[in-house]
Amino acid sequence: MRDRQKELLELLDKSGANLYALLTRLTLREDIAEELMQELFIKLINSRRFDKAGNPEAYARRVAINLAFDWRRSRKLNPLGLDQIREPASNDGSPLDKLVQAEELDEILNAIGQLNKVPREAFVMRYIQQEPYDYIAGQLGKTAHHVRALCSRASNSLRNILGHNQSQSFVKETHNVKK
Amino acid sequence: MSKNDENQIDHRLKILSQIEPSSKATNRAIQRARDTIVNKEKSQQRANARIWRNIFKSPITKFAAAAVLMIAVGYTVGRASAHLTLDVEELKAALESSLKASLEPAIRQELIEQLNNQWQSAFAVNSAQLKEELHQQVRRDLTEFAAQTLAASGILTNQRLMELVQLIEAARIRERQQVSAALEQIEQEKIQLRNGLLAVAARTNELLSTKQ
Repeated sequence: MRDRQKELLELLDKSGANLYALLTRLTLREDIAEELMQELFIKLINSRRFDKAGNPEAYARRVAINLAFDWRRSRKLNPLGLDQIREPASNDGSPLDKLVQAEELDEILNAIGQLNKVPREAFVMRYIQQEPYDYIAGQLGKTAHHVRALCSRASNSLRNILGHNQSQSFVKETHNVKK
Repeated sequence: MSKNDENQIDHRLKILSQIEPSSKATNRAIQRARDTIVNKEKSQQRANARIWRNIFKSPITKFAAAAVLMIAVGYTVGRASAHLTLDVEELKAALESSLKASLEPAIRQELIEQLNNQWQSAFAVNSAQLKEELHQQVRRDLTEFAAQTLAASGILTNQRLMELVQLIEAARIRERQQVSAALEQIEQEKIQLRNGLLAVAARTNELLSTKQ
């Protein structure tokens, strides 16, 4: 148990800031990221797989990504008002611009959440964490070529999801106009 | 999907990758996680220590230990003093009943504590989710309340505006009436002035003709 604690504290020192930044990017909310960070380490304390994991950092990242997208899914099931949208990305621009940008970011993150777990992790590491392919390959235990293929497939799926959503919203708007 | 949309996706992903939490928030989150790890370890250690302390502190345990000791001494003395045949079954039964009576409550206590610990850790895992749900509920209520207040204040504002418009209209009518009365008075004074001037002119003519 003491070894586990030591290992977790080392992991926290080494990757805590990165994990928190990742959670903030995926939730767009610092307060929620803080909650999820705590939940992540509670999960790691109780997890038996953590001991067996060859790369504790990669394992923690995977759990963090799953937690963040689970949170997005649960939030989607309980839709909230516009006051819930907070804008961490930039401090310039009008409030309307900020609102629109926050909605756009939410949309793309929700679309990423619909991807399968492995391509989603590769995609998040590549495009949101901006990690090089070789590093991602090392973390996921795959070849760089395989990671490129995963990212490409995830990218296509994402475009399809977003295109589908947009066409749906267009149909809805047209329908409303006709009425 | 058009090239333009693809550029939009790239742009959004770039924005996401540039989001950086504040250093204050990062430190707070790391500290919170550290506290969680340390407290969890401490609570488990405390729980284990408590179990053993409870077992050893329990009077029943002490009694059991004394009973076992006495039985063992009695058995040894008995065996040494009288060369009787050893009743192993009887000894086993005595030991069993003694141990059962003494250790059962302690084991039960230990089980309860372990269950409590499991429940606590399960609660800790779910607490973040519960907190978020509560947070959402409060926000929903606040949003609803704000919308209702906004609607009510809108109606009130409309009423006040209507009253203001009516007051302004009444003031304008009153003002117009006053201006009209003043103009009428000026007109009358003008007529009087003209008549006066005509009279003066007539008198002047008369005077001039008289002089001539």
